[in-house]
Amino acid sequence: MEVERVRDKVFEERPGFPTQYGPDRTDRQPGSPLVPHETYRDLVSIFILVAMLFFLAAWIVPALSSPRNPAVTPFIVPDWYVLFSYGLLKFSTVLPEFNVPGFLGLAGWRWTEAFWGFVLTNIPLIILILLPFVDRGRENRPAKSPVRSAFGISFLFVWMFGTSMYSINNLILQKWPVIGSDDVLKAFIVWPPILAGVAAYVGLRRLGYRPMYWYRVIPLGAAFLGTLGHSIFILLTIRGYPEFTWVAFYLGILTGITFVPAFASAALTEKTALRFTVAGTAFLSLFGAALWLTYYVFDPHGLYAVMVILVPNMHTVLALPVFSVITGYVGLRRPYSTYEYLLNECYQCGKCHTVCPVTKVEDNALGGLNLVYNSFKKQHDGVPMWTCLACDACSAVCPLDIKYSDYILEERAKAMGRPAVDGGGKE
Amino acid sequence: MIPEYGPGRTVPHPILFRLLDSEADDSTVPEIKVAHKSEYAYYPGCVDYYDQEMQFSHVNYGETNHGIIFDSSIKLLRAVGIEPMILDRSFMKCCGHDQLWQGKVDLFRKMRDYNAGIIRTLGVKTLITSCAEGYRTFKLDYKLDGVRVVHITQILYERGLRIPPTGEGKRVRVAYQDPCRSCRQMPVDPVYEEPRELIKRVDNADLVELKTFRADAQCCGVAQMMYCNDKTKGLTYKRMDEAREAGADFLLTACPKCLTHFGCLHHENKWRPEGEREPFRVMDITQFLAERLAGPYPSGGNIDERRKEPPLPGRKGT
Repeated sequence: MEVERVRDKVFEERPGFPTQYGPDRTDRQPGSPLVPHETYRDLVSIFILVAMLFFLAAWIVPALSSPRNPAVTPFIVPDWYVLFSYGLLKFSTVLPEFNVPGFLGLAGWRWTEAFWGFVLTNIPLIILILLPFVDRGRENRPAKSPVRSAFGISFLFVWMFGTSMYSINNLILQKWPVIGSDDVLKAFIVWPPILAGVAAYVGLRRLGYRPMYWYRVIPLGAAFLGTLGHSIFILLTIRGYPEFTWVAFYLGILTGITFVPAFASAALTEKTALRFTVAGTAFLSLFGAALWLTYYVFDPHGLYAVMVILVPNMHTVLALPVFSVITGYVGLRRPYSTYEYLLNECYQCGKCHTVCPVTKVEDNALGGLNLVYNSFKKQHDGVPMWTCLACDACSAVCPLDIKYSDYILEERAKAMGRPAVDGGGKE
Repeated sequence: MIPEYGPGRTVPHPILFRLLDSEADDSTVPEIKVAHKSEYAYYPGCVDYYDQEMQFSHVNYGETNHGIIFDSSIKLLRAVGIEPMILDRSFMKCCGHDQLWQGKVDLFRKMRDYNAGIIRTLGVKTLITSCAEGYRTFKLDYKLDGVRVVHITQILYERGLRIPPTGEGKRVRVAYQDPCRSCRQMPVDPVYEEPRELIKRVDNADLVELKTFRADAQCCGVAQMMYCNDKTKGLTYKRMDEAREAGADFLLTACPKCLTHFGCLHHENKWRPEGEREPFRVMDITQFLAERLAGPYPSGGNIDERRKEPPLPGRKGT
């Protein structure tokens, strides 16, 4: 039926009805312009960086080690980022050497261990270069492309780590003789990447589209437990140390900083959790910093004794709190909640807009009442959200099967200042 | 989001919703008394509230009868050998559908926990609703483990409801409006076939499809009782025009809300001349089926004798 006819039938003998519910729609594009917004922001970042470099260069004297002794052979090891290649060169001793026959007038050459190392080094790089041409999928989010993510975790993290470890195999065997032989370390290059790849694939497939809740709670809980465990371990190790109380005190503050986001995202509703995380961690950090400074004024040597314990363990007890705070904050921010994430699939084919019944009768709606559109264009002025019938005609035609009504639920709950639909409470 | 365009302004029946919302905070311990204990439970929902609003308030002195849905459902269930335990609103609360979709999630949670507790206490195995919204809410939004939630048409079809021929020679054309809550929005067990099969079992009924049907079915115009205005009435018009174009004598639906809004518009046009009125009757599918079964209604049918003739519109009509 014609739209006009519907409207005529509806509107006859009914003067004075409102035709417009919200402010005027504006057709503005998302994002901010390059000049001056982006330029200013970049300049500020650059100035901060320069200031930091200046500060470091001017005030921090780099530590110098003892002069080189020509009588002692130094421990030769490349920079950390090419350790994996060095490890592969060492590893390739187990691979066979053979002669490559000459062809097309080229001379034959011998495929040596060194050449094996070169080839092995380049295999992951070749895969990385070819990946955009082989995997033409649109998705680059881990949950949506588990195969690619599994390869990434397997190669970029586990395999690199294993090969880097192997590059210093002598040292490792010397330090931990319990490992036994070099073959165990060789196996460490081969098996963990495979296991990690399979585990990443299975985990991502299973985790899939769980609510954001689990994406937050698992890593934050793990960070808390890791820090707690390591702190207890340190304290058990240093019993009888003169500064034991102070070490325990600082470890308590650091563990507390990991506890706050873990507890907040596990037990509180989203909005409260964010506030609780920010306030709690800020309070603990400021308290710790104030105490640190006070301690430094009164007893610098005691502070040095504490640092001797904390700094060698900084990967856990100092880095994990920072990780926790950042993860908690980013994970609890509203734009990263579940349905925003799902809505990002929308590629604006406009089928939903075609079938939406409200667009047939609503004034000012013919240009895009649909909230999927409006969320994308940042034209969310409140009208589409409350006029939506949640009839799901749009989801029925959506080629990507976005559950639009779920998003409406989420948005309305948000607008009413109520707890989030997902992740807020225990079912 | 600008708050003044929120549901506070858009809910057209504010007193009704104050009443329903206040139920959520009511913490008095109810006295649970059921007349007949059974593993089949029937939840009539808030139809009587809507009846109050639609039939007896100034909004609509219409003939839309929601109470008949309850009576018809019990009659039909008895016809297939189920004597259900009636989850009365004397001890149950509203299922919370409207509160959830109006964004009042905390109220919904309170109602859900309360109702789910009672349903578990009573040991319900199968929960029957005659309302599409209730069906969706109990099935998807509640976490009722071990309770099978069915729409009444599903259980009637499953138990093989037989409608004996009434011998009426006149054929009637019957159209069925798919409520979005029980069809499109259900990822599991959408109710498409069962109502149509049941309509086909009535001997003098011919099922006609509207222009849009099944998963493409257009909405009746209003959801979660928000935004009753000219725009939503335009949608209802559109849907009813589809039924007129299909030449239907009856427009059936399985959702009391659809019934409310069709009935509301139907009644608003009663005073118009013959050609402009919608020529068909609007009723719930349970009422249509139960009218074709022999025997009286369990509680007398909730028929007001004075309302046989269409009254005048507005306050003067009685």
